[in-house]
Amino acid sequence: MNLRLELTKLLNLCFVFASAYMFWEGLSLVANTHSPIVVVLSGSMEPAFQRGDILFLWNRNEQSKVGDVVVYEVAGKNIPIVHRVLREHHSIADPSKQVLLTKGDNNAGNDIPLYANRKLYLNKQKDIVGTVKGYFPQLGYITIWVSENKYAKFALLGFLALSSLVGGE
Amino acid sequence: MFSLSQRFQTVSNTAVTVGLFLAAFIIGTSWFQLVSNHAFDLSSSISNVTPKINVRTSRYYGSVNGKAKENAKVSFDLEADLTKLFNWNTKQVFTYLTAEYENVKHTRQNEVTFWDKIITSKDDAVLNLTDAQSKYHVWDVQEKLTGKDLKLKLHWNIQPWVGPLVYGETDGTFTLSIPEREKTEKKAKESESAESSSPN
Repeated sequence: MNLRLELTKLLNLCFVFASAYMFWEGLSLVANTHSPIVVVLSGSMEPAFQRGDILFLWNRNEQSKVGDVVVYEVAGKNIPIVHRVLREHHSIADPSKQVLLTKGDNNAGNDIPLYANRKLYLNKQKDIVGTVKGYFPQLGYITIWVSENKYAKFALLGFLALSSLVGGE
Repeated sequence: MFSLSQRFQTVSNTAVTVGLFLAAFIIGTSWFQLVSNHAFDLSSSISNVTPKINVRTSRYYGSVNGKAKENAKVSFDLEADLTKLFNWNTKQVFTYLTAEYENVKHTRQNEVTFWDKIITSKDDAVLNLTDAQSKYHVWDVQEKLTGKDLKLKLHWNIQPWVGPLVYGETDGTFTLSIPEREKTEKKAKESESAESSSPN
C-alpha cells in the first residue's frame, strides 16, 4: 500500500467536496439568498413546475412585481414554498417597504391560510428567499428520492463505497 | 486501465456538457423567435369594465378584527391574441389582468390581480371574453377601493421547458374609476349580515 498515493486520493476527494461547497456559497453570494437553487416539492404550481424541477433564484431586486414567481419561507416552518405574487403594495418614498400576497397557480385560493401568526401579507424583505429566474426540469428528483426513500440513502452510500473499493488505479 | 469511477465521470461529464449546449441552443432560438415575432409588443383591448363592491367581514377577505372591508370584483371584456408567445420552448403561458393604483395620500403604489389564466396550448391562446367575471375579490391593504382610479393592464409570463421565465405586457389599458358608494348604512348592514350567514 502506497501511503502517499492514498493521501493524494483523500486530498482529491476533499478538493471535490470543497469546490462544490464553494460553488454553492459563491452562487449564494451572487444571488444574495441562502438557497440559490431550490427543488420544487409540491404540485401547487402545476403544470408549469412539477415535483423535482430545479429553480434558480435571484434576490437582488428591491421589490417584487405582480406575476413574479417567488420562493418564501413561513416563520417557524423550514419548507420553501414556490408561489406567484398576486398583489403587491409598496411605499413610494421607500420602495423596499413592500408587502405581498401570493397564490399557487394550481391552488383555488390565495395563501393567507399558510402565513404565520394570522398575517394577511408577506414581507418582501423578511420572508422572501428569492425570485425564480430560471428553470430546469426534473434534475432535482434525485434529492427527493434520496430524502424520501429510506433505502435510497443506503443504496447511494453503498454504491459510492463500492466504487471507491473497486476503482483502484 | 479504466476504472468504474473513471467511466462514470467521463459519461456524466459528457452528458452535462451536451445538456448545457442543448439548453443554450433551445433558449437562444426561442428568444430569437419571440423577438422576430414582435412578442414584446402584443396588442390587446380591455373594455366594458364594471366594478361590483361587496362588504366582507371574514379574515380571508382582508377584514381585520371583523371590521367591514370593501371587496371589489369586476366584469370586463377582453380581447388579446397570445399565439405569438408559443414556440418550441413554451410550456405554458400565464396571463393576468392587473390594476395599478395609488392610495389617497399618494404615498403607496399598489398592484392587484383581478383575473388570470393558464394557457397550455396554442389553440387556446386567442382570448375573446365578453362580460367575464374577475377571479378574485380584491381589497386594499389599508383603505377602501372606492373613489380610486385603477389602471388595468394585461400581462403575460412564459414558463419554458428549460431556461429563463419571460415576462411582458400587452398594450391595451383601461382606467376604471370606482365610484364612492352611496351612504346607505342600511344597505351595507344588510349585505354584511348576508355575508356572515353564508359560508365561505
